[in-house]
Amino acid sequence: MSAAAIETRGLGKTFGSVLALQDLSLRVEEGEVFGFLGPNGAGKTTTIRLLLGLLRPSAGVATVLGRAVAEGDARWRGDVGYLPGDARFWPRFSGERTLDFLASLQRRPPLLRRTLLERLDLDRHVLARPVRTYSDGMRRKLAIVQALQCEPKLALLDEPTKGLDPLVQQAFYGIVGETRRRGATIFFSSHVLFEVQRVCDRVAMLRGGRLISVGDVETLRRIERRRVVAEFAEDVDPAGLAHFGEVGPATPRHVELLVSQEALPALVARLGMLPLLDLVVERPSLEEAFLERYR
Amino acid sequence: MSVRTLLGHLWRLHRLPLAVLAAGAALFEWALTRVAPDPAQASFVSELLRLLPQPVLRIFGDEIAANLSSRGFLGLGYRHPFLLLMLSVWVVRVASGALAGEIGRGTMDLIGARPVARSRQVAAALGALLAGLTVVAAAAWLGTAVGLVGRSTLGVAAGDYLPVIAGCWLLFAAFSGVGLAVSAGARDAGSAIAWTSGFIAFSFVLEYLARLWDRIGSLRPLSLFTYYQPQGILRNGLAPGDGLVLAAVGAVALAAALAVFQRRDL
Repeated sequence: MSAAAIETRGLGKTFGSVLALQDLSLRVEEGEVFGFLGPNGAGKTTTIRLLLGLLRPSAGVATVLGRAVAEGDARWRGDVGYLPGDARFWPRFSGERTLDFLASLQRRPPLLRRTLLERLDLDRHVLARPVRTYSDGMRRKLAIVQALQCEPKLALLDEPTKGLDPLVQQAFYGIVGETRRRGATIFFSSHVLFEVQRVCDRVAMLRGGRLISVGDVETLRRIERRRVVAEFAEDVDPAGLAHFGEVGPATPRHVELLVSQEALPALVARLGMLPLLDLVVERPSLEEAFLERYR
Repeated sequence: MSVRTLLGHLWRLHRLPLAVLAAGAALFEWALTRVAPDPAQASFVSELLRLLPQPVLRIFGDEIAANLSSRGFLGLGYRHPFLLLMLSVWVVRVASGALAGEIGRGTMDLIGARPVARSRQVAAALGALLAGLTVVAAAAWLGTAVGLVGRSTLGVAAGDYLPVIAGCWLLFAAFSGVGLAVSAGARDAGSAIAWTSGFIAFSFVLEYLARLWDRIGSLRPLSLFTYYQPQGILRNGLAPGDGLVLAAVGAVALAAALAVFQRRDL
């Protein structure tokens, strides 16, 4: 088994009477891109802040890059890049001053800064301006650069594409790909499902502070039910197909079903005995899988 | 290394206000040397004021005679609300801004997620506070020293005020510790500013009222201002007991700041 970049055991956090995260046990391998999905308030940001030691856990333990987060030694954080979901900066500092200061605290040279700035189209004129004059999108770009400029071994990215226009999002996905090729681990929280589908190896789903499931994107898709749409040349009784799965919208000549992968061969065989005109079997999108889990 | 980086960060955030405060303190103390009574005037007015009723004399404090000498008059400048305000603004601004301010602004996430021990953040804030206090206090003393160059007839030496400004520095170093302890536990700069400035103002008022009003006279030791009496320092030097109390309050408050900040959620 390879080393874990992140490992949590029974991690939990309460804020007063509010349970933000409960019994999170998770393992993220080195070098993988791990998606962390959940609706607002699911506990994604709380998890990331616990992993960084910004919050003290109410229960459980977390290790990041082989070091217990709760320990006093903070040096391990030099290998971590963090993109907050709502990054705030010092308004009077220029973008360049901000990046210099944060790289200096990181104690690693900002080797990737120039590349990132080029990819995200932040030129030196923009960097010379005070951050208070930046648009939301420019601030988001600056946040991405500060997180990745020092070539971190682990990047914790909290909803990284929030507020980015589609072109910059594409550039960001490219940056994620390059970061992965360098061997870095990326922990990527999002509620934008298609981007997780696009860039992540594995995904965990969180709801109400509880882990719902963990698996690779393909496995998740596989275990979810298929949507089957059958058109018939003659009238059939949709109720006769109910034992294969869940019958959705149906007329005597048009039936929609949700069926498990295991039930699919038997259903297809049965449909073959009927006056079948057309058959469509759709793999669920991650969004559908996600919604089904959350239903 | 990270302490130095954080000190540079705090310097960039607070250097302009520091320059203004230091200039204000220096100008004020310089101006007092311009208007300080010469020995002949002081002696005449002093004799006149001794005729005032006892309660009025008490309002002016038991150092009234000393205050009316040229030396004592300049000593008043080191306990004047203007200088105290200059130093308080520095303490409240930096102590509240360094910890609670970063949390409230949301920038603490960027600092806290980097390899910077929380104790180093407190250390950097303390370093900035004490360095700035030194600058403002030194500027005040320099104002006196420069002003006295042209008024040799006063017969006062600038060096006499070095123990006074040292006592003043100690007082505000203690307030700095308190300010850091408040900031370490606060959610934003606003609440830290309110609590710290409230503490300083309450301490000032308590000492003032306790001096006038016998019924609350026993509360006077609870005010930190009790341990900084410029006229007493001018007469007898900085009392080791007073210095010790101020240093102890500062140290205990700093320990509290460290303990609170280490354990809290950012």
